[in-house]
Amino acid sequence: MNLTDLFPNLTGENHEVTSPRTVRYNCIAWAACNTERWWQPGVFWPVDSSRDDHGIGNVVEAFRSLGYEECDDGVREEGFEKLALYGSTMMYTHAARQLPDGKWTSKLGQLEDITHTTTEAIEGGDYGEVVQYMKRPL
Amino acid sequence: MSSTQAAESIHERFRELRDDWKSKTRHLSNTAQIALVFSYQKIIGMGPDVVPLILSELEKEPDHWFWALEAITDENPVSESDAGDVEASARVWVQWGRDRGLLAE
Repeated sequence: MNLTDLFPNLTGENHEVTSPRTVRYNCIAWAACNTERWWQPGVFWPVDSSRDDHGIGNVVEAFRSLGYEECDDGVREEGFEKLALYGSTMMYTHAARQLPDGKWTSKLGQLEDITHTTTEAIEGGDYGEVVQYMKRPL
Repeated sequence: MSSTQAAESIHERFRELRDDWKSKTRHLSNTAQIALVFSYQKIIGMGPDVVPLILSELEKEPDHWFWALEAITDENPVSESDAGDVEASARVWVQWGRDRGLLAE
């Protein structure tokens, strides 16, 4: 199955594959620049958490502990690194990290890392929509 | 149905559910979202008979079978230091299965 089959907004023009597939790490780990663990509440998570808490609030809390704070949008700001947190039906589904050029990088589950031009490129399918942006000083 | 036929039937059903689950979850990162797919829930519902099949899968390819294994067996042999390390967790569960005679050496 192609990535464009999984993400209705993804096209050949708005993304680029940047890594091989691996189950070693997931999108939350990748957003936090970790490529060794699959981050999961209550299993491997930067804050104490119930393993049953898969809500947006828990992933926001996780990234707060890493120095991020909530912000209004994903517009690039000089001197800041931003994250886009995705959710669907109250459950977090994904996190993407903004690159210095304003594009975004995502690890897609067990599949590849990709660079995508906009946060919308991976919305609309199982990831739902961006529900929160966060930023921290570089 | 003979015991051999029953085992083959379980194996065949497991393969169908496994394939469905994998096809629907490769791109997902939230383990709860991965485990809530109906085919995965059906695998858990197959109970202890399916544990050797899951362990055999883990031996071939590390994947998110830990939720199902823990739900079925009520055990978790993965140490805190290996938590979140999918490959290490797979190795620990495979050894757990070998120690109980659920997998061939």
